[in-house]
Amino acid sequence: MAAAAAAGQVDADTFRRLYPDDYLRKFVEQGLRPDGRPLAAARPTSIGLGAVSTADASALVKVGSTTALAGVKCEVVPALPEAPDAGRLAVQVEMAPLCSATARPGRPSEAAQVLTEQLGALLSSVVDARQLCIDAGKAAWAVYVDIYVLDADGSLHDACLLAALAALSSLRLRAVSIDESGRVQTGAAAQQQQQGEQLAGQQERQLALSCLPVSSTCGLYRGRLLADPTAEEEPLLEAQVTAVLDESGAVLGFSAGGTAAVSQAVVVQCLEAAKMRGKEVRAMLQQALQQAGLAADAAAP
Amino acid sequence: MAGLEQQPLLTDGHRRDGRAYEEFRNVFLNTGVISQASGSAYAEFNNTKVMVGVYGPRQSERKVGYSEQGRISVDVKLATFATRQRGVFGQTPEERELSALLATALEAATNLASFPKATADVYVLVLEAGGAELAVAATAAALALADAGIEMFDLVTACSVSRAEGALLLDPTTDEAAREEAGLTLALMPACSEVTQLVSRGPWSSSQLREALELAMGGCAQLDALARQVLKTAAAEAATRRQQEAQRQAQQA
Repeated sequence: MAAAAAAGQVDADTFRRLYPDDYLRKFVEQGLRPDGRPLAAARPTSIGLGAVSTADASALVKVGSTTALAGVKCEVVPALPEAPDAGRLAVQVEMAPLCSATARPGRPSEAAQVLTEQLGALLSSVVDARQLCIDAGKAAWAVYVDIYVLDADGSLHDACLLAALAALSSLRLRAVSIDESGRVQTGAAAQQQQQGEQLAGQQERQLALSCLPVSSTCGLYRGRLLADPTAEEEPLLEAQVTAVLDESGAVLGFSAGGTAAVSQAVVVQCLEAAKMRGKEVRAMLQQALQQAGLAADAAAP
Repeated sequence: MAGLEQQPLLTDGHRRDGRAYEEFRNVFLNTGVISQASGSAYAEFNNTKVMVGVYGPRQSERKVGYSEQGRISVDVKLATFATRQRGVFGQTPEERELSALLATALEAATNLASFPKATADVYVLVLEAGGAELAVAATAAALALADAGIEMFDLVTACSVSRAEGALLLDPTTDEAAREEAGLTLALMPACSEVTQLVSRGPWSSSQLREALELAMGGCAQLDALARQVLKTAAAEAATRRQQEAQRQAQQA
């Protein structure tokens, strides 16, 4: 084999570039990954809340080198006639061109659009749109969750969902008041006005999340499962499995794709791994919220 | 909040955020922040936060045509939540202008002949716009180019000066820039004191302009010292890592 013959003559870095598959295989056979992790371990994860002061809520999530920044902006909009008692939640994932060598400025890439669709569907089941209503038939909140991928080093779905979830759980909807002529005021002015007169509107409040979904990606490589694959590993995988579970263990989303079929045993193994990872990540989120002086509402029934 | 607009920007020698007129905000610079990029940098001047990734030099896109020299292609985007009013996803004319200005600020400092026919892509994302975005982006982009190992004649540092309420303010915030009578942004190659970009807004008398330029040049020199320190620290860390790696390999052998 050419790879084996060359192995004796080239240094590790060259070997890695020329024969990425052999390089990864040699690690995996030893039960390790190129970055030193065991096969089933996710990368170190961190959650930073409130990084962007112009956003109503924001969260910076790092999973290893993969970085996602979610920012939430809220606007008061007229209620839609077809859904007078509901607000709107809009989710958008943007793969900023600086995040990887294949991303380019301009139209969103396919990967970004897929992520947008998946996360949009997930989050709309987490946030009940009816609680975004301000005055039925008249005004409602439009909540825009924009997620920027800043560094695409694999398992983007996990990082993007966590960033969006962290931002939403730290979100406080401002106080809002609406007078008879339809003028809308938000923030401290609205709070004062509400106390003075009996106006339609609402006090400042935290968003209630119906559950805390956590996504966890595993890759299938030569019959073994690699948790939380990096961008280097992803193209070599035979299949990639992403499972989204909430705190009760219910499966909210599951996707498997790749060149190989995924057996039932693998599915079970992935779900088990996702359950463990979810517990770990939710504890991290809880801690980040406590540090920011907020408690997650979703834990309460 | 409405009252704040009428209040003066300056009270007995200090600005709203407590700074003196010729003082920078808290500056934080860092390189090597994006694992996938050839070079990258992050710059934070209090509420102005900018991330830059450099890819290449790599093959030019077909649509730009042939060029004997190397090319720098700049794309600046503001995150939708970077401004008080929510922005849009597509590129606005302001962002296009910022991109063009940034490209000229960097081209003069880069040795374009060192990568003929290829393009270095400089992607800038403004995470939060708190004032002086062009200057912060130019400083960060030059650091990212250096981090990518692209040959440069000198680093580029840039800073803004606003004239408001009769005083010259270094490194203005959004509030200060919104109420300036005149302003300028200067990009400088500090070692050789050569200007790569000067953008001026509003009316200046020649004596005022001279004074403002001196202030900006002083600011650029301050940033230069910091930027060089950041590059040196990064290089020292990389050298230590390489040494450790070599030692480990020697031990294994």
